[in-house]
Amino acid sequence: MVVHQLLSGAGPVDAVTGQASAYRKAFERWGWGGSDHAASIDPRVGRAVKPIENLRAQPDDILLLHYSAYGPRLRPLLELPNRKLLISHNVTPARYLWSYEPLAAVYCSVGREQLPEFARSVDVAAGVSEYNVAELVAAGAAATAVVPIVFEPPVAGAPEPSTAEPHPPNVLFVGRITPHKRHDLLLRAFALYRRHRAPDARLQLVGETVSPAYGAAVRALAEELAPGAVTIESGIAPAALWQRYRAADVFLSMSEHEGFCIPLLEAFSFGVPVIARPVGGIPEVAGDAALLYGGEDLAIVAELLELAVSDRELRTELAARAVRRLIAYAPERALESLREAVLKTAARS
Amino acid sequence: MTEPEQALARARASADAMRASGAYGDDLAGFRIEPTDTVTPQRLLEWALIEPDPANLYSTRRLGAPITFAKRLLLRGLRQYLGEITAQQTRFNIQLIAYVSRLTERVEALEQQLAQPPGEQVDDV
Repeated sequence: MVVHQLLSGAGPVDAVTGQASAYRKAFERWGWGGSDHAASIDPRVGRAVKPIENLRAQPDDILLLHYSAYGPRLRPLLELPNRKLLISHNVTPARYLWSYEPLAAVYCSVGREQLPEFARSVDVAAGVSEYNVAELVAAGAAATAVVPIVFEPPVAGAPEPSTAEPHPPNVLFVGRITPHKRHDLLLRAFALYRRHRAPDARLQLVGETVSPAYGAAVRALAEELAPGAVTIESGIAPAALWQRYRAADVFLSMSEHEGFCIPLLEAFSFGVPVIARPVGGIPEVAGDAALLYGGEDLAIVAELLELAVSDRELRTELAARAVRRLIAYAPERALESLREAVLKTAARS
Repeated sequence: MTEPEQALARARASADAMRASGAYGDDLAGFRIEPTDTVTPQRLLEWALIEPDPANLYSTRRLGAPITFAKRLLLRGLRQYLGEITAQQTRFNIQLIAYVSRLTERVEALEQQLAQPPGEQVDDV
C-alpha cells in the first residue's frame, strides 16, 4: 500500500502537520510507503514534508488529503485518477476572523464553501469527530468515517507534588491565540473569579499568536482586568507545556468553535479538571469528564472555577472519568480507525 | 461532594446567592470579540481602506530578528511601489462600495414605491 499525504500548509506547531507526522509513522510501521507534501511549508518543518509539485503518484497510490481551510493547490489533485481519502479537521467559521485575520478569514470562508466539492469528489470523507462527519454528510459525502485525532498521552499523568500543598489557584488555557477561542470571555471569567473568589489566582495562556493585533488586544485586556496575574506564552517546548499542565489546578476553555480540541485530552492526561463550552466536537471528546456550560453568565463560570479548584472529591471524580476518556481516545484505537478508512478507500471501485 | 452532573446547578445557585449579596456587578468593559455575521456599510468602509500593519512582517524563526530587520528594510525600499498598489486597491474598494450604496438606495426607493397603493406610485426612481 502506498499513501501520499497532501496538506495545504505545514508548520512546526500546526496540529494538522502533527497528525500527518503521526500517520506517516504508523504507515511505516504497517509497511506502507508514500510521501508527505504541502502547498506551503514553514522553513522550521525541515525536509519531512516536500513541496506539492514533487508529488509523483502512481495510479494505484492512495491520496490522503488533509482539509482544514481553502486549499487552492489541493483542488487540482481531485482531478487525478487515484482513490482519495479526505480527512476533515474542520474549518473555523470566518465570522470570527474578518476583523483580526482577514487573510485567514478569506481562506476559511472559501474553504467552507468548497468543502462540498471535496466531500463529493473523494472516495471516503473522514472527520476527526462525529461533529465533523455530520458536516461532511451535510456537504454531500457518500462514504464517511470517523478517524479521531491520534493523541499520544504525555509522560506522567500525576500533578506535581507542589500542587498538593496550598498555593494560589492556577487556571490554564492552551490553544492558538485567535478570536474564536474567545480569550476575551476567558479573561473576563477569570477576572470575576479572581475578584470574588481567589484574589491571588493566576491565569496561564499558552498558544501561538496568529495575528499581532489580536495578540496585543488580548494582552491589553489581560492587563486591564487582572494586572500582573496573566502570563501569555508562545512557542514553548513540549516539556515546558507539560509542566504548565502539571502546575494547573483547572483548565478553562471559552472557545466557541472546536473540531476536536486536543488540549482537553492533554488536561485529562494530567488529571486537571476541565471547564469548557459544549461546542463543536467538545461534548463528544469530553464525554462526562468535564464541566460543560454553554451560557453567557460569566459569574457561573467563575463559580465553576471555584468548585473545580476547591472541591477535592469533585476533582477526584473528574480525574477518574478523564482516565476513561483517554482509554476511549487511545492512539492505537485512532490508528485502527485510520487504517480502516484507508482500506475502505482502497476497496472503493 | 459535588457530583459532576450537579456542579452546574450548584454553580448557578452559588452565583445567584453571591449576586444577592452584591457580588458580580463588575463593569468588565474593554475589548470584546464581535463575530461578523453581517458586515455593516460602516465596517465595509473601514476595511476598504488598505493599510497593512508593518508589525505583521516578521520572521517566525527562533533567532529571526535579523531576518525581520531585513524584511522591514526591503519593505521600506519598496514603499513607493507598494503604496501605489494599495492606493489602486483602495480606489477600487471605495468605488465599489459607493456603487453598491447607490444600488441599495435604488432598491429601497423601488421597495417604497411598490409598497404604495396603485395610482400613487412615482415613475422617476
